[in-house]
Amino acid sequence: MTKFKKILIANRGEIALRIERACRELGIGTIAVYSEVDRPALHVLEGDEAFLLGPAPATESYLRGDLILDIARRAGADAIHPGYGFLSENADFAEACEGVGIKFIGPSASSMRALGSKTRARQAADAAGMPRTPGSTQALASLAEAYSVADEIRYPVMLKAAAGGGGKGMRAVSRREDLRAAFEAAQSEALRAFGSDEVYLEKLIERPRHIEIQVLADEHGSCVYLGERECSVQRRHQKVIEEAPSPVVGPDLRRRMGGAAVRLVQSQGYTNAGTVEFLVDDEENFYFLEVNTRLQVEHPVTELVTGLDLVHLQIRIAQGEPLPISQQDIELRGHAIECRLYAEDPDNGFFPSPGKITRLLQPGGPGIREDCGIYEGWVVPMDYDPMLSKLIAYAPTREMAIARMLRAIDEYLIGGIRTNLGFFRRILSDEGFRSGRIDTGYLDRLLAERSTEESIATETNDETVAVIAAALFEALRVAPASAVQSPASAWKSAGRREGLRG
Amino acid sequence: MKLEIEIQGQLRTIEVDPAADPGRYSVSLDGNAIEVEARLLRPGVLSLVVAGRAYRAVREDDAPAGNGSEVVVLVAGGRYPYRVEDSRSLKSRRAHASGHDGPKTIKASMPGRVVRVLAERGVEVEAHQGVVVIEAMKMQNELKSPKAGTVIEMRVAPGDTVSAGDVLAVIE
Repeated sequence: MTKFKKILIANRGEIALRIERACRELGIGTIAVYSEVDRPALHVLEGDEAFLLGPAPATESYLRGDLILDIARRAGADAIHPGYGFLSENADFAEACEGVGIKFIGPSASSMRALGSKTRARQAADAAGMPRTPGSTQALASLAEAYSVADEIRYPVMLKAAAGGGGKGMRAVSRREDLRAAFEAAQSEALRAFGSDEVYLEKLIERPRHIEIQVLADEHGSCVYLGERECSVQRRHQKVIEEAPSPVVGPDLRRRMGGAAVRLVQSQGYTNAGTVEFLVDDEENFYFLEVNTRLQVEHPVTELVTGLDLVHLQIRIAQGEPLPISQQDIELRGHAIECRLYAEDPDNGFFPSPGKITRLLQPGGPGIREDCGIYEGWVVPMDYDPMLSKLIAYAPTREMAIARMLRAIDEYLIGGIRTNLGFFRRILSDEGFRSGRIDTGYLDRLLAERSTEESIATETNDETVAVIAAALFEALRVAPASAVQSPASAWKSAGRREGLRG
Repeated sequence: MKLEIEIQGQLRTIEVDPAADPGRYSVSLDGNAIEVEARLLRPGVLSLVVAGRAYRAVREDDAPAGNGSEVVVLVAGGRYPYRVEDSRSLKSRRAHASGHDGPKTIKASMPGRVVRVLAERGVEVEAHQGVVVIEAMKMQNELKSPKAGTVIEMRVAPGDTVSAGDVLAVIE
């Protein structure tokens, strides 16, 4: 067992900061890395040490495994935490770390390879006796093979990239005559996005829920599951809201899904944190989807309902410690919801909205956690993912967690850039969401409906206040000192009045 | 102080005067009197009490709102872009706006980087034909011509960084 003294965090933004905080809590030094545009980013300001990688594009900075390893060696890092995205699922990088004796905080390169490719993971699922969607377990060799697999499992079907993620290289096909075009489009998109045109075919599950199981495995053969996360609220295959537990998963289904997830990862000698994703139909059948061999964006909802700190546990596992908990110790308590706050404009096709954050008032109070890497005055760069912050609400019940999240959204004010904050208000107020009737198509259906929120937002009363506020801002610009008095001077004048009375 | 504020497509006339008590204002909005108590908490952040109800308002930036340029105020989850008008510039702008079918501009709808110019200067384009592609945060946005015509000005080239609202090209 080794005790880490210093960890390099090969990431940026909120997740880099979240990992730095965990390291600090464990008495471990942190090394931040950054691109040229990220010098003022919070993860750089909060790191114990900071090293420049290169220009803004990720391919010249955060994806440069060679530079990162070199910095790790020179700075004397014992381990590298990759966060999510960037190099987190890059088996070659994990192997390079192993090669120079720096611990990669995650699974070994070999189990990452076995479970990271979707086709290989489907083969592993078969071997572990785990239900999966019907379809191919190997890359389709030709269009002819695609036709024969699709005919066998019947339409509608789904084409997916073996190396895929984030909805890229994915096509739903409901009629035989559309298969050729979809196959070619999926192949070329997969090649462009992942450098591999491997695609496979699976049966399309109608109105599925996306539910995933968090697992933790140590290097001594122990593995536990930490319940599920419900991630069905998605736009373009990107998660928007996640919660734990799922409103439709009971103890029995949880036990069956958790057991299957543990069997699968153990069959591949998997270690550290991982997530097994499933589709669940309305008859509680679950189908294996894929494994994410890293920490997930949405890990905080699991932390809140289990009372565990996943990053602490990742580090302890990587240090060679045995899991400090067994399956019987894990109890889910309360309900947690996470909203992913993006710099994007819901009124303009969700286009990205990078730029300077001119005003920032963040929520707080009971049951609210915010994992973010933003501050007032910071310029959100245009070069990376638009996620700004994760707002997480925790309460004893789902109903109260929703109410708490709505309250926090009301407290949140962000100026200078557009965000999807108002969009969350609409989802969280929607009867479908509130009653838990959600599947992966839910959000698209909600977006297709005419928004009633718009008419609420333009209500006369708030508009009147907006006009008054605008006028006051302008009046105070002209004569700030005389027009308004600070609370301090108001006290002073009140005191003076009191004095005169006496 | 009397102001004309254009907000939500409407022109509102508002008069704001400090009352005797500090922090209190007499406001007259389109002729209706309203009592307002207000505190500037820090630049750009205002606490308001209007008819007993408390609000927080944020003005998005420090730039002046004069000469018809737009600023944004955030109140109660709503976003309200506004302009402060002096009556003369308003008249001239209205006259201009109601005018002829002249050259039209293509403006950046978001900050980003120009990745492609699809129609160079001198090229004839159809209405809704793509002219410039800009990219931000891994998302590309094709900006289309507002009308059929010729690209008479191309102000950007691939690699240029643009801000929201920047004029990229002019079509006549």
